[in-house]
Amino acid sequence: MSDSKTTLQSPARSVPLFSISRVWTLAISTLTQLIRMKTFYFLFAFAVLLLVIGNFNFASSPAQALSTIKKVSFGAMDLFAWLFAIVATALLIPRDIEDRTLYTILSKPVRRIEYLLGKLGGVLIVIGISLSVMFLVCAGMIQWQEMGYIADEVSASPNGISDETRQAILLIEKNGFHSDLAVAALASFMKAAVVASVTILLSTFASSSLFTIIVSVLVFLVGHAHTMATNFWLAETDNNMVVQMLLKLFKIIIPNFQIFSFSEGIVQGAALVPALIWQMTGLTGAYLVVFLLLSLLTFVDKEF
Amino acid sequence: MSEPAVEVKNLTKVFSTGLSKNYVVAVDNLSFEVAAGEVYGLIGPNGSGKSTTMKVVLGLMAASSGSAKVFGLDSGDIRARNEIGFLPENPYFYKHLSGEETLKFYGKLCGIKGSELKDRIADLLKLVDLENAANRRLGGYSKGMLQRIGLAQTLIQNPRLVILDEPTAGVDPVGSRQIRDLILKLKEDGYTVFLCSHLLEQVQEVCDRVGIIFKGRMRREGTLDELIQIDSQTAMTLENASPELMSKIHDLIASDEAAGIIEEGHPRTTLERLFIQIADQNKKEESA
Repeated sequence: MSDSKTTLQSPARSVPLFSISRVWTLAISTLTQLIRMKTFYFLFAFAVLLLVIGNFNFASSPAQALSTIKKVSFGAMDLFAWLFAIVATALLIPRDIEDRTLYTILSKPVRRIEYLLGKLGGVLIVIGISLSVMFLVCAGMIQWQEMGYIADEVSASPNGISDETRQAILLIEKNGFHSDLAVAALASFMKAAVVASVTILLSTFASSSLFTIIVSVLVFLVGHAHTMATNFWLAETDNNMVVQMLLKLFKIIIPNFQIFSFSEGIVQGAALVPALIWQMTGLTGAYLVVFLLLSLLTFVDKEF
Repeated sequence: MSEPAVEVKNLTKVFSTGLSKNYVVAVDNLSFEVAAGEVYGLIGPNGSGKSTTMKVVLGLMAASSGSAKVFGLDSGDIRARNEIGFLPENPYFYKHLSGEETLKFYGKLCGIKGSELKDRIADLLKLVDLENAANRRLGGYSKGMLQRIGLAQTLIQNPRLVILDEPTAGVDPVGSRQIRDLILKLKEDGYTVFLCSHLLEQVQEVCDRVGIIFKGRMRREGTLDELIQIDSQTAMTLENASPELMSKIHDLIASDEAAGIIEEGHPRTTLERLFIQIADQNKKEESA
């Protein structure tokens, strides 16, 4: 403190227009907060779920058993990702406001967009780490089961591998682990990122976390019927111009979560179409930019 | 003359309540200045507009009309935030972080890194006497400790202006005195302190100048001496005065028609001072 007097005379220090380091600091702080809230404990629950379906699977064939493991585990991963994205994002900002932590953060040279990005980034890092761990556990379980089933098939044919056995092994391999499954995990992550950005927007003006969570879940559910709903209503010629405009607005505002549904096909063994990955990535990026800009518009002049 | 640390000119802040279009004037045409290096206290009852004024100075709120400047910069200018350290009333920092992690977090937000940040954190923990609790999570801190880590947080980027909102609210007298001592140390080190409080005794002990605000309007402003001295009265404290001397004094006063005794008796300490004295004595006995 001894040299403070000289520093106190210094002129106003400049603040960069945008600092990735400040965003990173806020994201890591959010990550630490979520870790210390014991968020990752659910990974044990996921591991137990996998062990249960792996060992007490009453499917009629090995291929069906593997398919069940994949469907259940990827379903659980997807459910965790979007639900966590909504709940964590809806709780973090209101809690900062309620505890006045936001005052101390925004009274430092922190821009509001940096704060929003930091919070979103922290939630997405937790989801990213969780999905990666779940994917690895899941991949390990599927491969372990797959190898076991193949070994059973081979040992059941002591006189050499017959065509029938070869067919059975091929079917097991088809329903076993393949690298395309990583795209399904990526789709879950991107879906969670979009739903988190919608939740961020809602939490910038909503008065309670409960409202934010309910509306976010509604948007998420409606977004799954996006194409069907808009095609049906927009095709109605009886609709007047106002209704048509409202429907078009709905089409723009509500994200189309159906773009991520191709991942279900991948889990069931369907071939991967690269164009769909690009479309999904592009639309995710666009949704993130739009919702973050809208969040900033409402948050930038918000008074605390 | 150097630039004022805070310059509030004709500041008015109006809030609308709900959809009924009712308006509440929280701050009404308020003007004052805080000179660089001084400790300025803005006092007033709850709801008088102190915190609103503070939030406008911090850039957390926009003025309905008028202006607020910090070292010549508009309070909405992000560069002004580099010059300000802020401690809100009853601060709740992230409970999951330790004292040291909290300072590291705020330091990084201010762009301080590496050994500079490490040294700064060590200095501040020493200043607020929390070196032994540096690795404890804030969830386990007492109210006084939270206020002190909060004070350290305000100083992390070595700002020129420190804004404190009710810094001793809810803190026991010992903790309260520690915070007062820290404020006096800040003044000694050349910081400008802008303090909002309704604890008059505290303000009296640390502030150079005081503004008294009621219903968003400045009622009185000046140095402490100007504000609290009663020009028409004179106090005299005597030591070892004999009854004879007291009798002579009484006779002398009685001989003057205009003069009179308003109060007479043995001077008293305050309950707060007595409490601190007992606490200190207890501490000494325990350590002996």
